[in-house]
Amino acid sequence: MIRLTGALLAGALLLPPQDETLRIGHKNFAENELLAEMFARVIADRTGLRVKRLPLADTLPCLQALKAGEIAAYPEYTGTGLVAILGEAPLRSRREALYRVRTEFQARWDLLWLAPLGFNNAYELAVPRQIAERHGLKTLSDLAKAAPQLRAAFGFDFTSRDDGLPGLRRVYGMEFKEVRSMQQNLKYQAAGERAVDCIDVYTTDGLLLVHDLVVLEDDRKFFPPYEAAPLVRGDVLRRRPEVGAALGLLAGALDEARMRRLNRRVQEDREPVERVAQEALEELGIIGTRAGSGPSGRSASFVSYLVDHRGKLAAQTVEHLALSGAGLLLGVLVAMPLAFLLERRRALAEPVIRAVSLTQTIPSLALLAFMIPLFGIGPAPAILALWIYSIFPVLRNAYTGIRDADPRAVEAATALGMTGPQVLRSVRLPLAAPVIMAGVRTAAVLTVGTATLAAFVGAGGLGEPIVSGLQKADPHVILSGALPAAALALVVDAVLAGAERLVRPRGLERRR
Amino acid sequence: MAAPLLEAVHVTRVFSGNIRALDDVSVAVADGETLVLIGESGSGKTTLLRLFNRLEEPTAGEVRIRGRSAREEDPIGLRRRTGYVPQEGGLLPHWTVARNVGLVPRLLGWDEPRQRARTDELLDLVGLKPETYRDRHPLELSGGQRQRVAFARALAAHPDVVLLDEPFGALDAITRLELQEEFLRLKGRLGTTMVLVTHDLVEAFRVGDRIAVLKDGRLHQDGTPEAIRGAPATDYVRALLATAGAAR
Repeated sequence: MIRLTGALLAGALLLPPQDETLRIGHKNFAENELLAEMFARVIADRTGLRVKRLPLADTLPCLQALKAGEIAAYPEYTGTGLVAILGEAPLRSRREALYRVRTEFQARWDLLWLAPLGFNNAYELAVPRQIAERHGLKTLSDLAKAAPQLRAAFGFDFTSRDDGLPGLRRVYGMEFKEVRSMQQNLKYQAAGERAVDCIDVYTTDGLLLVHDLVVLEDDRKFFPPYEAAPLVRGDVLRRRPEVGAALGLLAGALDEARMRRLNRRVQEDREPVERVAQEALEELGIIGTRAGSGPSGRSASFVSYLVDHRGKLAAQTVEHLALSGAGLLLGVLVAMPLAFLLERRRALAEPVIRAVSLTQTIPSLALLAFMIPLFGIGPAPAILALWIYSIFPVLRNAYTGIRDADPRAVEAATALGMTGPQVLRSVRLPLAAPVIMAGVRTAAVLTVGTATLAAFVGAGGLGEPIVSGLQKADPHVILSGALPAAALALVVDAVLAGAERLVRPRGLERRR
Repeated sequence: MAAPLLEAVHVTRVFSGNIRALDDVSVAVADGETLVLIGESGSGKTTLLRLFNRLEEPTAGEVRIRGRSAREEDPIGLRRRTGYVPQEGGLLPHWTVARNVGLVPRLLGWDEPRQRARTDELLDLVGLKPETYRDRHPLELSGGQRQRVAFARALAAHPDVVLLDEPFGALDAITRLELQEEFLRLKGRLGTTMVLVTHDLVEAFRVGDRIAVLKDGRLHQDGTPEAIRGAPATDYVRALLATAGAAR
């Protein structure tokens, strides 16, 4: 039993095998994911290395993972490197911006910006065609005049970053009637339905091709350049120069129009990233044509989507269980000895349990985000977070169960000469077993639910389809993660309910 | 004169909050004798009982076992040599009757066959058919049957003395009478030394060789039932006898 759980634990902690697999990280939006997939395919095709794609939440996790060596490279934008990472003022010239991030990243962290991929994915502002016509809008200067009558919806970071709304106010004197923060996909939808009059967009958004929007010209050249390029670890390039050579094939290969079309296929037509990347690389002649590259077309129904992706979903379910199981096991391993200790030092029990209960109030996303700088990305921070969550339910039940075990039986056992440890092992523990198991069940359901968030730190599991589905606003993808996760919670609960009946000592219920 | 089997010498027990549960109490129990400690709740009778197997320690004074200070005894070993019957049995609900009865023999490391033989012998002794009751769990028994199992458990390892804390307290009147008779029969047959706590004067007169009357932590009188009935030492003892008028 102990050996088995030990093996399980070791297995869970070692999820990513430390062999020569190159990992390419990416942020959680379609273009970045697509670029990472293209990086992975080019490298695999040209070097024969095993390459895996690792979804991460945003800029910060990607950078942390890259610095920590958890990933070898990820697609980044010069403007993001300059403003969001280095914290410097935006530069107007593409060349200056690239030069600046190249020198700083190399000097500070030995991270190299390879040659840009050929397109600029800057911020721009777009308005519905009707609004543009009614107010005669062509440039941002035109927009600034009409702004006091218009409602704007911007991405969460756009409203606060210097190269976003604050800069627009300064340079164009732009003041809207109303400014709301909204998620990327919802923004387009809102603009399409004329619920808002102006949104921030990226140059290469595929959605620009879908909704009838007019992109306004940045006549004062306010928006800084956001050229996409591979950001790679220096040591990887020195050890494996062929990786740099392979990525170099993509330099200048992707222009804005092509990128917009590719993005649309992923964002709107919901084609698998793998196929879009493969076909784009074939079109560009960068890698050879591959026969029969999977089924075509967007999945017609949810069921057929599940069938198409059953292999991946099964793997994610296993990952999910491994993450939850490892977190729960660690939680039990801490909670049980702590419960024994507190039972012997009862004065400490209340304050300690109350302190541990505070862990339940930490928002899970915040906890995961906090783990990244300390433990990098991947299963480790996720398991740690799940561990922290699972301690309290087990501890509280174990402590009260052991403390409140039939006092007459405990007293009699002591009076007849059982030692303290004997009373604990032979009387308190068996009598408390059902209560303890109830705590483990609570913790298990909690852990399986929370583990969906592990995808944000690249730990995989059923959160992956949920996160990428939210990304693509594709309910099929979301449900393909959410439903199995919910079902898994129910199954785990049912299995542990069975275990609870097994550990319940015979004789605790009156049988007639 | 040989030292008495059990002896409390000027014992005082003060609980936190300065509650005097026992105040300078001395009693002695001779070999083979049954001493009944009687008093109301809060009289200190249970605290006194618990001093004899070191579930409690005196704040002042001394408990002696065959003339030796109880402090020199290992409490675990002492308890294994001392039978104990709490109110409502205190059986371990997750263990069978046989396992409950064999508790102390197992702690003492008796081998399996010897444990089994002793368990069956004791179940017979307390009037429970071994083949019927051996494998039952306590919650499948009546209150009287549970108390019989508790007696069997207390006697299992041939203890020097058995301590009983209101052993008949939770039983209905008829079962109580039945078990008191049974207790007298066993006592006559085994000759084991017993200390029994009760608040019921009728019970005290019925089962006790000697009776110690306690009130508010003080010993009011200590003597045979006849001596107490003939010459109550204090007003409290006299009042107690009057309320229990039927104590013949």
